[in-house]
Amino acid sequence: MAEVLVTRSVTARHERRSRFFARALRQPMGLIAFTVLVLMVLMVVFGPAFLPHSPTRTSPLETLQPSSAEHWLGTDELGRDVFARIVHGGRVSLSVGIFSMLVGLFIGIAVGGSAGYFGGRTESVLMRIVDTFMAIPAFFLILVIVTSFGNHPVTIVVTVGVGFWAQMARSAHAEFKRFRLADFVEASRALGSHHLRLMLRHILPQVIPQATVLATLGVGWAILTEAGLSYLGLGIQPPLASWGNMLQNAQAYLFRAPILAVWPGLFIALTVLAFNVLGNSLRDILDPRA
Amino acid sequence: MTQYLARRLAQGLAVLFLVSLLTFFLINLAPGGPSSLVDMSTTVAERNARYELFGLDRPVHERYVSWLAGAVQGDLGTSINQGLPVSRLLAQRLGATLVLGLTALVIAGVLGILLGIVAALRANRWPDHLVGTVATLGMSVPNFWLGLVAIILFAVQLRWLPASGIASIGRGFDLVDRLRHLVLPAGVLAFGLMPNIVRVTRAAVLEVKATDYVRTARSKGLRDLKVLRKHMLRNAFVPVTAMLGLITTVLFSGSVVIESVFGYAGIGRLAIEAANGRDYPVILGVTMVAATVVVVVNLIVDLLYVVIDPRMRHG
Repeated sequence: MAEVLVTRSVTARHERRSRFFARALRQPMGLIAFTVLVLMVLMVVFGPAFLPHSPTRTSPLETLQPSSAEHWLGTDELGRDVFARIVHGGRVSLSVGIFSMLVGLFIGIAVGGSAGYFGGRTESVLMRIVDTFMAIPAFFLILVIVTSFGNHPVTIVVTVGVGFWAQMARSAHAEFKRFRLADFVEASRALGSHHLRLMLRHILPQVIPQATVLATLGVGWAILTEAGLSYLGLGIQPPLASWGNMLQNAQAYLFRAPILAVWPGLFIALTVLAFNVLGNSLRDILDPRA
Repeated sequence: MTQYLARRLAQGLAVLFLVSLLTFFLINLAPGGPSSLVDMSTTVAERNARYELFGLDRPVHERYVSWLAGAVQGDLGTSINQGLPVSRLLAQRLGATLVLGLTALVIAGVLGILLGIVAALRANRWPDHLVGTVATLGMSVPNFWLGLVAIILFAVQLRWLPASGIASIGRGFDLVDRLRHLVLPAGVLAFGLMPNIVRVTRAAVLEVKATDYVRTARSKGLRDLKVLRKHMLRNAFVPVTAMLGLITTVLFSGSVVIESVFGYAGIGRLAIEAANGRDYPVILGVTMVAATVVVVVNLIVDLLYVVIDPRMRHG
């Protein structure tokens, strides 16, 4: 009997998986976006090992050079190789984007999920906190934290994540509230499962599709936010390159070398676009109702 | 209904109180907080003098209470770097940001609602796909980069519009001049805001399109435009109105970056100047004012609900 149940659930999982892939194949834009992101990740992970140029070595005799076979995207105002900086900067921008999103996702699901699951007083207290964070424009909150806690890369990651968690909490709240009295949750509760097990084992999986979509769009938002912050000089600090602080440098040379402002911007736009397109496709695949 | 609005007002005040608590203690308890500025002073006497000047000789909760007591009377403390009252700095700058934000809102609102309606009425056909593409681009392109590109294109190359500032220097109030300075920053800000409005409008119109009363109106032989105007627009406005609070936060966040790109002297730029100079009272004041505007907008939204949706009046 138990064996039958196990095989059934395994086949159900297989079916679900193949349905996912079948739907995914009907989303050409999503597939393209996914490919772009895979290439981007490969580039920033393995690129530095193959690049002939250092992203930080200055060479005063080769400043502001145009694209050439030697320097694919030219050099910047200190003679640094722009492509090398794009690759290394991409490492920083992508990791900040992904880890910030994870921070926001974790806090959001923990707070919003508890609010939705427990209801009552817990819910009203936690959701008032969420409202508070929603009332502060994200960038102002981020400025407050960065001014007080400094701009170490880890601080930046946490800070940008804090700018994102409230929205995640709202949707986790709604979903946990929807499922907390569902039959399968009640059944497990009747068997004596404790709260944590009910929340993690039974309700959380129901939230995953929606959370995946929000998380994917969230990475895009986080990359944009870090770029904005670094552009303003409050994020990742030189000589460590990030796409944002490369644009800050470029602004001083807007008239002499406008091309310097083009490359980092294009890479940010392309990456964020890919995350957004992928997020929208995932929404169509995972949640056909919407 | 009065009861409902009173409850919302109380909730708004509670949120503002929590915002003040959060930002004040974040700033004051952080390792790099105001006291670190004082520790840079050399002599003990000097240090003590500065402690006293900023009120740092008192425990943090006492400072919070006196700050709050001042804040509700409009006194937000004194700027460390400029020596001027924070409220005066804010008063000088807030107007410019509100003008910029409202202009962007109007542009994004009109375009966003129009495009959203077009996308919904031609759902899954090429106009819908085109609108979707534009909206996704608006979400993905960094607004400060778009600002830089706009400056290169319209100010440097074509010389159609000024690159920065609120008005030309040395000229009195000149509406045309002000508007010319507003076009680029407001346009860039609007481009980033529009996708949200398009998405919500499209979803709302799609929903209304499927309702019985729209089908009835159509089957009566009403022309499409009239059905749209009489039956669909009002319902489509509700969700857009509902997100005005969110839109306000997006506008404020955007203004921080955009005002820096265009050298536009609003409170976003004030916040950056304060952050760079670690001017804590100013950061605190700017954040409180922005949050207050958001809370007030949310209250106005609650009121608007009652106006737009007659069901609320009796609910």
